[in-house]
Amino acid sequence: MLQAAALVKGYRSGDRQIAVLRGVDLTIAAGESVSIRGESGSGKSTLLHLLAGIDTPDAGAVHWDGRTTLPVERRAAMIGMVFQSFYLIPELNTFENVLMAARVAGAPRAAARTRARELLGRVGLAGRETHLPAQLSGGERQRAAIARALVNSPRLLLADEPTGNLDEQTGAGVIDLLLGLGAETRTALVLVTHNAAHAARTARQLFLHEGVLR
Amino acid sequence: MPWYFYLALKQLFPTGRKFPFFTAISVLGVALGVALLVVTISVMGGFAFQIRQMIVDTQGDVQVRGPGLIENPAELRSMLGRVPGVVGVTPFAEGTVMLEAPNKPPAFPIIQGVDVQRVNTVIPLDHYLIRGRLDDLDDDTVILSSLLAYSIGAQVGDKVEVSSPLLLERLKHDEVFLPRELRVVGIFMIGHQALDSNTVIVTLRRMQDLYGLGRAVHGFSLKLAPGEDPDAATARINAMLPPDAGVTARSWMEFNRDFLFVLQLEKSLIFLLLLAIIVVAAFSVTSSLLIAVVRKTREIGLLGALGGRPREVAACFCLQGFLIGLAGTLVGLGLGFGFLAVRNNIVHFLIRVTDSKEAMLRFYQVSDLPSHLDRRDLVLIVTSSVVISTLAGLLPAWRAARLNPVEALRSE
Repeated sequence: MLQAAALVKGYRSGDRQIAVLRGVDLTIAAGESVSIRGESGSGKSTLLHLLAGIDTPDAGAVHWDGRTTLPVERRAAMIGMVFQSFYLIPELNTFENVLMAARVAGAPRAAARTRARELLGRVGLAGRETHLPAQLSGGERQRAAIARALVNSPRLLLADEPTGNLDEQTGAGVIDLLLGLGAETRTALVLVTHNAAHAARTARQLFLHEGVLR
Repeated sequence: MPWYFYLALKQLFPTGRKFPFFTAISVLGVALGVALLVVTISVMGGFAFQIRQMIVDTQGDVQVRGPGLIENPAELRSMLGRVPGVVGVTPFAEGTVMLEAPNKPPAFPIIQGVDVQRVNTVIPLDHYLIRGRLDDLDDDTVILSSLLAYSIGAQVGDKVEVSSPLLLERLKHDEVFLPRELRVVGIFMIGHQALDSNTVIVTLRRMQDLYGLGRAVHGFSLKLAPGEDPDAATARINAMLPPDAGVTARSWMEFNRDFLFVLQLEKSLIFLLLLAIIVVAAFSVTSSLLIAVVRKTREIGLLGALGGRPREVAACFCLQGFLIGLAGTLVGLGLGFGFLAVRNNIVHFLIRVTDSKEAMLRFYQVSDLPSHLDRRDLVLIVTSSVVISTLAGLLPAWRAARLNPVEALRSE
């Protein structure tokens, strides 16, 4: 489904060029769950951004279903993203936040509303639809963000340290949810995490070290 | 509804919250500018409308005249009456006379000779009479303007003597041309100081007698059907006038072109000055939206990650400027028209408090504030306000569109 070949990515810091990814190869099959661990600054988030198609590699290529480009209009159907800081829009309530991803993707309204309600029920937020993000706990916000990531029924879910801002118990619940929903909907999952226990629950565990995946 | 429009609405009017402070201040800034524009342009328009009405009421919609006398007025009047769109034609003769009342120094007013049978079809003299009746005007009577009557101390029923320049002309030939003694049967007030202080109205026959015109007149005042364009009607009349008639038709607008230009210039300058208030309000909108772009950097990154295109992100902020402009304009129109609805109560209150009714009447001939807003001016105010506010969103929109989603998501 997704194949990354010899990805190279670096950043310029003043006069210095800092290489972050030095030739990453990665293949994700449909419905597969993969975890990526690594030290802070090792390039995990950069790799996720490349896989999501919102950043471009300096060398190498990402193939989505064999294609080297992921047009904006296809991105929503292909990829859902979950972030450490949730990034819920504060002016929208929980339901509207979930629906926003469908709106941006141009999904049919009625179907999107049904799907959003169904997902909020699945993540345990039924009855909290009209609550603003500020009225939700951290775990609830992350669950709302997961519902948002899945509202367009993407084939790949990219989760960037989704438990980083949560306590151990809440974090474990979020990982349960990601893996459970992923398996249920045959959505592939790439989980970037520092937590070895969470990583161990995925089908395949990888470690990003010195710009290379092992 | 496109997502960027929806989000723009939600960011200004968030779900489940009271009217946000930023939105309220931005809308209020635009609203104040619009309200001031509506009130000022309406009151200026009201005065201008009164002046225009006064010009048309005293001169007619169109005047036909030549460099000299019209010797055969009956034929020309009949021809002018047949021009499509012309609903009234009245001849006039005019000049300057010396007016004397007992025990008062003489005055030298403008004199108008009017056809009593026809004048009301073009010039609503009845409407401006504050004493007496137009029906009483005959060859031995006269109607005076209010300030002239006041200055020579004449009342209805008093007698005045009128001498024309013909008196001097006749003296050259050792002839005597006695002043005519006329009885005052009416006093009019138009609301224009120059006319009110210096005008005498007599019958056309008396005027022809005073100036020795015979049957000749100086011109015709024409009334057009309601809604008729004076310039188009004037062109039509000129096309129908015989080339040897030696006269031309001119609309009241052409006659008063310079004066109308000054009126328009005044209004345009005031409009531009007051528009500056909306421009200042727009700067505050720009500043607030720029702060919002900085504050919402990660959300903008998220929208990019969700598949939002840069131009859609830009539209979201530009639309916020547009929506603030629209809301501010609507509130401003409400405030402006609300004020106009009670303007005279406010003016009367101020007049009462400052005891200035006499001064108002003396200088403005009114104690009420007129108001008239052209549809064109209203459209101009609404369009300017909305366009300026939308432009205020351009810079924040451009900044938001330039944000790289990856860098935006990483921002602290």
